[in-house]
Amino acid sequence: MLSNVTLFCFFASYLCALVIELTRLRLKNSVTRWAAIGFAFAGFIAHTAYLFERSRTAELPPLLSSTHDWMLVLAYLTVVIYLFVSTIDSSLGFGLFLLPIVVGLVGVSRFVSQSTTPGLSVTRGWGMLHASMWVLGAVGVVIGLVFSVMYLVQHRRLRQKKLLEDGLELPSLERLGRLNWWSIVISVPLLTLGMVTGVGLSLVSDPSTEAVRLTQPSIVISLLTWLGMMALFAWLLIAQRTPGRLVAWRTVWAFGFLLLTLIVLQVFNRGGVHGVASDHSAMLNQQRSGLDSQPLTLTIQP
Amino acid sequence: MNVQVVYCNHQTADLSVREKLAFSSEDDLLRAYDVLRERFPASEYVVVSTCNRVELYTAQENASDAPTSQELAAFFSDFHRVPVEAFLGDLLEQTGAEAVRHLFEVACSVDSMVLGENQIVSQVKSAYEIATKGNANGPLTNALFQRALNVSRRVRTETRLSEGRISIASVAVGEFGRSIFDRFDDKTILVIGAGEMAEETLRYLQNEGVQRIIVVNRTEERAGALAKEFGGQAEPWSQLDDWLSRADVIVSTTGATQPIVDAARFRKARKQGSGKPVFILDLGAPRDFSSDVSEVDPGVFLYDIDDLERTCAKNRAARTTEIAKARSIVEEETSRFMHDIYHKATGPIVQRLRERWHDVSRQELEVLYRKLPNLSEDDQQAIDRTVERIVNKLLHPPLETLRDEARDGTPHGLLDAIMRLFHLH
Repeated sequence: MLSNVTLFCFFASYLCALVIELTRLRLKNSVTRWAAIGFAFAGFIAHTAYLFERSRTAELPPLLSSTHDWMLVLAYLTVVIYLFVSTIDSSLGFGLFLLPIVVGLVGVSRFVSQSTTPGLSVTRGWGMLHASMWVLGAVGVVIGLVFSVMYLVQHRRLRQKKLLEDGLELPSLERLGRLNWWSIVISVPLLTLGMVTGVGLSLVSDPSTEAVRLTQPSIVISLLTWLGMMALFAWLLIAQRTPGRLVAWRTVWAFGFLLLTLIVLQVFNRGGVHGVASDHSAMLNQQRSGLDSQPLTLTIQP
Repeated sequence: MNVQVVYCNHQTADLSVREKLAFSSEDDLLRAYDVLRERFPASEYVVVSTCNRVELYTAQENASDAPTSQELAAFFSDFHRVPVEAFLGDLLEQTGAEAVRHLFEVACSVDSMVLGENQIVSQVKSAYEIATKGNANGPLTNALFQRALNVSRRVRTETRLSEGRISIASVAVGEFGRSIFDRFDDKTILVIGAGEMAEETLRYLQNEGVQRIIVVNRTEERAGALAKEFGGQAEPWSQLDDWLSRADVIVSTTGATQPIVDAARFRKARKQGSGKPVFILDLGAPRDFSSDVSEVDPGVFLYDIDDLERTCAKNRAARTTEIAKARSIVEEETSRFMHDIYHKATGPIVQRLRERWHDVSRQELEVLYRKLPNLSEDDQQAIDRTVERIVNKLLHPPLETLRDEARDGTPHGLLDAIMRLFHLH
């Protein structure tokens, strides 16, 4: 039963929820609100079943099983936040900003590696810590990015005196700025921990597997992006005059770039961040025939 | 009686036009009344000048004495030294029952930017009192404005027009302020000016939890009184720049004829501050902050009266039923007022006409009874009643026509014709 749940099920549900959120710009009532929440919740149920089935088949937690699953966990946590916020606040246009990222993550997850990360099985505890820190930091990045974009949109609306024209309801600049600040302050240390445990893992992993090399372009780019975020973090803590709009712009650049890097690297390097050369990755994928033969793939063709 | 109004308001003209025609102080108004009296001595006047409207009401016993709208436009042009072409297209005119209805709608706040606002009542009352002080009004405008205030009271009692956000300050702070700030209890509020609008804004802000209020006004006594009323502190006018740099919310409501803060001055003040967002609510007409102040830096959010128009339209759309009820009351009161005017103007003539015809009939009946002495008392009474009915039936058509004509104002022509036809002079 659970194995019949495909990626498309929750991808389509989230897409429907997003479309309904868009219609709420013109037609704001309880029907559209609950319809959006309903579709997102349906997707959430299917998403849960899918991850559960993947985890059961791979005999690994979703965070460890593959980049595909890791990305789906990120989308999953983002949906939980969307459902929570939408249920407690009837007017907020949060879904308009968050759901595109969810849909994007689920969509992109179809094109990234579905093979298990080699070498992690020997240090499962560390691997779990590394992946958890990364995913929680990434959730912070997604949320920070969303708050920053909301801040900039709200700022623009206020400056242009067009608060009522687009039907959008957003929190105050003060609140968005505060939430943005906290998202940076929480996500950067989590990503740092993820980074440190990742380096630690590479040092203790089985050298014969050639699984992770610190000189890999993906690792280097991630490291550079992380350095950029650390600079943002330090600037936030040290600077005395930090106009909210500037913080929002820098967050959009830093977090946006990080998210983009993460996704693009996963798509172009089908072995994932932890993968090696594509042929090696493909070989590993072939070896894991159990996973790839499952009917868990997206039904729309790439 | 003839009533006329020449006006421009937030629905017909931009703030840039209204501020050119506004009378920003009592002295301005008193000077205006002197000029009006000189130009049109047979008229009474009341000027209602607020941030949302400039309206000149005139009333005369005879319509022929009424100034034309072009003459009144020329008065505005000469008084404010603004070319007529700059505002003529924005100036509207109403006469008779339409003018009365317009004043009633203004007083009831049906015509206000913020539907149901209370402030317009005191503004109309104040306009009337200043006109009295300037010897500009008279019995006609007295009756008109007294009735307008009564109608306003009735609308507020019988409809729910004044529920919810009903002041410009509440709309501005509720929509724009709340989109910038989450809370106001940790903010510094600078109020420039100490008039009624400042008081109204402070009342609303205090309800929002504001604790630190600074009042700066050219007249320090008034600043002190206002600050004391709201638990704030009054600061001298010379400290304005310092407070401009420290305030989170600035509410400006002065009666200055020119902007008091321009971009250069504000930029200088901002450099001394922390660069945090500042919400400026300019409720002055003419404006107190020049529009380029909003370009000083991205943390400046400047709003004037016209920027609230869209928000107020939303407020208006939500109260359609109450507007309909209010308009129905206004309609009823306008008819009653016009009817009263009719009675006042036509009453003595109708009375004289009736008396004249009944006198004639009585005289003729006395002649008849002398010729017919055998008629019993009952017969005489029956004849009296018949003749009275004939007189009343004959009087009915002209009086009915007179009443119909009087619905749109005093029918001076018809009254004159009746007086001449029946020798009632």
